[in-house]
Amino acid sequence: MALLRFRSDMGPTSGLLSLQEELERFLRNPNFSLGLSAYGEFPPINVFADSEGVLVIAESPGLDPKSLNLSVQGRSLTISGERKSDEPKDNAGYHRRERAVGRFSRSIQLPEDLDLSKAQAKYEAGLLTVRVPKAEESKPRQISIQAGR
Amino acid sequence: MTAQELAAREKQPVQGQEKTRAGRYFLPDVDIYETNEALHLRADMPGVKDQDVEVTLENGILTIEGKVLIDTYQGLSPLYTEYNVGNYFRQFELNEALDESKISAKMKDGVLELELPKGEAAKPRRIEVKTG
Repeated sequence: MALLRFRSDMGPTSGLLSLQEELERFLRNPNFSLGLSAYGEFPPINVFADSEGVLVIAESPGLDPKSLNLSVQGRSLTISGERKSDEPKDNAGYHRRERAVGRFSRSIQLPEDLDLSKAQAKYEAGLLTVRVPKAEESKPRQISIQAGR
Repeated sequence: MTAQELAAREKQPVQGQEKTRAGRYFLPDVDIYETNEALHLRADMPGVKDQDVEVTLENGILTIEGKVLIDTYQGLSPLYTEYNVGNYFRQFELNEALDESKISAKMKDGVLELELPKGEAAKPRRIEVKTG
């Protein structure tokens, strides 16, 4: 029997560990269909929900935001663009080349109760974040009760 | 014709090294190229802001470390995930004689750009061949 048992979710960095475990649990969640796109395509995508709607986050470092294209059609959201290499000057020799470059395009299917016309996107620190709010009619509504006479 | 030229590489966890802090570390993908004047390094660290990167050169070992901002994910519940979130860590042994005082680093759109100028001794020199 252990004399002391530390809770693993203590301290400021524990947030990271619990986040990692949570993400792991939803890895390629079969209950959520992306539609046409498949796992393994660039950029890797995580889809989250909060009380306001859905958040799509794509890890896509080193892109020129101007070369990024976002479009919506029906329930699908398409992210496309190009990752260019910054070609070094002449007589440069490569020791390692792990960062892939090229064009990409992904389409994902979003849940029905969202308002895609109100989608907003930002690109920061190599993360593309698209926020799609819930449709007005799917937000919770209070129903007033009339007292009977 | 397909517009998909890029495949996503699964993040590789850092092996063989254990940090005192909990949580997984991943290896950032890097490009390293060399010119006559310097060694250049690019490392993909999406989710890391400028102030959260640390680069050190000690005893010929170059260490890069990036801390990911987890606030981004606060209050969100995942529906579907393809990548995990974690800090980045990678080390390289440098054989070159570099001018440590002139190393410059900057962070742009989640990519660390490092320039390590060579010391005089490491620059290529043309040796004159005399005809006798």
